[in-house]
Amino acid sequence: MALQVTDLTISFGGVVAVNGMSLSIEPGEIVGLIGPNGAGKTTFINCVAGAYRPSRGTVQWKGTELRGLAPHSVIRQGVARTFQNVASLHDLTVLDIVKLGAAARGRRGLAAVADLWRGEAALEAELHETVLEPLGLADIAAQPVQTLSYGLRKAVDLARAMASRPELLLLDEPVAGLTVQEGQQMAAVIREVRDRRRCAVLMVEHKMDVVMSTCDRITVMAAGARIFEGTGPAVQADPEVRRVYLGEP
Amino acid sequence: MPARRRLALLAVVVLAAAGSFALGRFGAYLVHSVAIAAIAAMGLNLLTGFAGQISFASGALIGIGAYTAGNLGNAGWGLGAILAAGVAAAVASVVIGLPALRLRGLYYAIATLAAQFVLEYLFKIVEPLTKGISGMNIAPLVLLGRPVASDQAWAAISIAILALTWLGLARLMRTNVGRAFLVVRENELVAKGMGIDVVRVKLWAFLASGFVIGVSGALVGFTTRLASPEGFGLSLSIDQVAMLIVGGQGVWAGSLLGAGFVVLIPEAIQRLGEALHVANLLSAMREMSFGLLIVLFLLFEPRGLAALLRRLARGVSRIALPHPVPDSSPVVAARTPAPGGTREKAL
Repeated sequence: MALQVTDLTISFGGVVAVNGMSLSIEPGEIVGLIGPNGAGKTTFINCVAGAYRPSRGTVQWKGTELRGLAPHSVIRQGVARTFQNVASLHDLTVLDIVKLGAAARGRRGLAAVADLWRGEAALEAELHETVLEPLGLADIAAQPVQTLSYGLRKAVDLARAMASRPELLLLDEPVAGLTVQEGQQMAAVIREVRDRRRCAVLMVEHKMDVVMSTCDRITVMAAGARIFEGTGPAVQADPEVRRVYLGEP
Repeated sequence: MPARRRLALLAVVVLAAAGSFALGRFGAYLVHSVAIAAIAAMGLNLLTGFAGQISFASGALIGIGAYTAGNLGNAGWGLGAILAAGVAAAVASVVIGLPALRLRGLYYAIATLAAQFVLEYLFKIVEPLTKGISGMNIAPLVLLGRPVASDQAWAAISIAILALTWLGLARLMRTNVGRAFLVVRENELVAKGMGIDVVRVKLWAFLASGFVIGVSGALVGFTTRLASPEGFGLSLSIDQVAMLIVGGQGVWAGSLLGAGFVVLIPEAIQRLGEALHVANLLSAMREMSFGLLIVLFLLFEPRGLAALLRRLARGVSRIALPHPVPDSSPVVAARTPAPGGTREKAL
């Protein structure tokens, strides 16, 4: 077991956003997390990534407890996340962002002072080969991020997460807002990341065709808890899921 | 930076430094005043323009630099006094920065204002170190066994230190810490999600910015040869913020332009007043005209003189050349409607 989340609970004021949620992911597995709006999917990812501090439950990652760690410490454990809405970062180029991703697991403290004297040519070459080329971003590496389309910015966000050499990727709606073609490319990239690096993936996504074609297993959330878990066809066949999520009577 | 450009830059600096010996005393005085103010403005630019933390305490940090350099210079530390002034101001800057780990934006700005007043007060009462209200006399800096007293020599030294500061800061912005400054400036939540340790990055910004401002303070002390509390008051902090706004945030050249503007315009107003025999009237208008200028820049060119000059240069090249040379970032210029927060690519 790579990731084992047990009984995760967090509330905001009187709203219990995630209520006793459990989920596990094996190494190299792609798990889809689906559910209606407000089910607590993004909140769940935020809890695992350290952005929120859950009030109850455990987040075991390869024998380490992630609950209570700050986001930058979670990344150092090999768990990286992407964002649903990518921020526009004015002055930074694609390569800058990817370097920051790599730095998330890099040296710290006074060792950072040595950056002033060290060249970055070797790092740039490595990032080109391992991240930018596979994601088709090599040609635009020197462009400021804010000049890129929404789809490309999402790819940059994924590249940034991948540059930290994660063993678990948390993807928050990687395909939302993309064109059909961009969405298919993104899904192919996600599968390739898994195949090439044996990286486990947890993706929150609404586009069912992408979820069906990408995920090995699907977990359905509603009202902060898991209501079903299984393979794509099983999820589609389950009457409870159809009622809650697909809106059938 | 390509080797040729580096050489060209070195040549410009050496020529400028050498050229300052050909200046008269007053000309050299103006040169080192601008250069020293620009060094501090660059330190503030790093903190505010690049890392997004507003500060009204730079006047007091310049003071800490001046007092430290004065005490150690008088004790015969030589150049070491300038470095120690940077270190002292860097430590003070981090302490002033601690509230920024909790407070944001305007609230933090108020905290720096409080720090400015507290330090001003300390300058007055810690007499063993500051000589209180009467001020501390500072002996000329001894360099290579000789005291440096002429304005020309100080102009040359200030230009050299300004160039070093510029290079060092531009280099810093090309490291991961520097890139993280920009992300923290834009959005702290995103920075956290990207795995950036926001607390650590902010502390680096305060440390580096404080060091640079402290070095500038040391130069202020050695050139004026006197450190007194009223020299490092809030108006000096405001001057620094004015340089930042008038010159342009997040662009290094903006700090130099802003410093030139803020230091030279009052001199020009003074000269004009003397020529027209209305010196008293005009000097009273100095503060007012400054306030007016800042408001005008905020309204019409929030990106400051640096952006204004860049636009001018683009216009000239368009007239001069039938096929204008493409700008380095044409898409940025074309697509963004400049909603105030937009900044040009850092130099």
